[in-house]
Amino acid sequence: MTELELRLTSLREEIAFPETPDLAARLERELAARRPTRPRLRPLAITLAVLVAMAAGVLVLSPGARSAFLEIFRLEGATVERVEDLPNVPTTERLQLGERVSREEAERLLGFELVDLGEPDAVFVRDERIATLVYGPIERPRLVLSQLRGSIFEGFVKKTAGAGTRVDEVTVKGERGLFVSGEQHFVMFRDEFGRIADEPTYLAGNTLLWNRGPLLLRLEGDLDRTEALELARSVR
Amino acid sequence: MVSRPLTEDELVEQARQGDGAAFGTLIRDHQEIAFRTAYLITRNAADAEDAAQTAFVKAYDALPRFRRGAPWRPWLLAIVANEARNRRRSAGRREHLALRAAHDLPSGDAAPSPEGSLLAAEQRQTLLAALETLREEERLVLSCRYLLDLSEEETAVALGVRRGTVKSRTSRALGRLRTQLEEEG
Repeated sequence: MTELELRLTSLREEIAFPETPDLAARLERELAARRPTRPRLRPLAITLAVLVAMAAGVLVLSPGARSAFLEIFRLEGATVERVEDLPNVPTTERLQLGERVSREEAERLLGFELVDLGEPDAVFVRDERIATLVYGPIERPRLVLSQLRGSIFEGFVKKTAGAGTRVDEVTVKGERGLFVSGEQHFVMFRDEFGRIADEPTYLAGNTLLWNRGPLLLRLEGDLDRTEALELARSVR
Repeated sequence: MVSRPLTEDELVEQARQGDGAAFGTLIRDHQEIAFRTAYLITRNAADAEDAAQTAFVKAYDALPRFRRGAPWRPWLLAIVANEARNRRRSAGRREHLALRAAHDLPSGDAAPSPEGSLLAAEQRQTLLAALETLREEERLVLSCRYLLDLSEEETAVALGVRRGTVKSRTSRALGRLRTQLEEEG
């Protein structure tokens, strides 16, 4: 440290700062009385199991499967397509949620402020485009909330449901959504660089997809429709 | 049985769970640095008090978004500094007080430390006066680093700049301050 820096440091004790007000006494009671009412995740709704496991590999959807689409539901950034036969997917794969980053880093990479259901246990970003908030142990998450900018990913993400899957149209805060339930295996397709590829996923829960302004949100967990919608409405 | 004081992480976690007393402890532990940071920016005690108080309220509301395990003080100081800058801007031409040394006040509320007493009153005033001649961004970076003893990282967060900027700005400000003192000497 130079002499000048030492002189400045010595000055620290000499500055005549105004007396610090006792903000603690003033605020403690006031703040306790208006504790933020952000809903906490309800353990009962999410204890039964694992949710999503995105497989490591990327498969190319067979022409047969592509031609077997029976129904198409459209959201701004996603399409749910019902097929007769799902591609085979591995049953034991590690989560492929991308790179684990801080929330701030995720927001910087994606260029938008993340929404959440409360503070997540981990945040992942994949391809600098999709953020996934994980609740519960990372290897066995109890709830996963993914989000991406729908306007950028128009036609980018597709989610395929098997024939045994029920797809219900729902509304979340006035915006359109789809609740996908019944079938355990889903495949999320993506169409990047003009080709159709798919990331096989398997899950033991249901999925709610919905638009929120410019974002497409996907909530996966062991949730029934009412629970999923309740959680979706609490996202902020 | 004597229980150990809670760590900052534990206090933050308890506050996140709605424990108002834990947040009260966090306020008590940080209200001085928060107020002084705000004061160095606003140069007005009332504005600084308002900025610090608002910052604590905002920090409390934002607790659910605070990343577990992250240091709390830089996060808080960033909110404080932002609030203080807002008040500084809105204050416009309102008079801002220059920093003064405690010994030059009529009342002797703040007793000098042995370390501080090494500086003669005249030298202190000369140094403070020279500090006041610097551009605001230079004065602030030196104030954060040396008068508030904030780390480079904390200074960067509080001033909303990169750590490298803090380094370069500090170096430049010290150079200007040195030149100013030489010219006066």
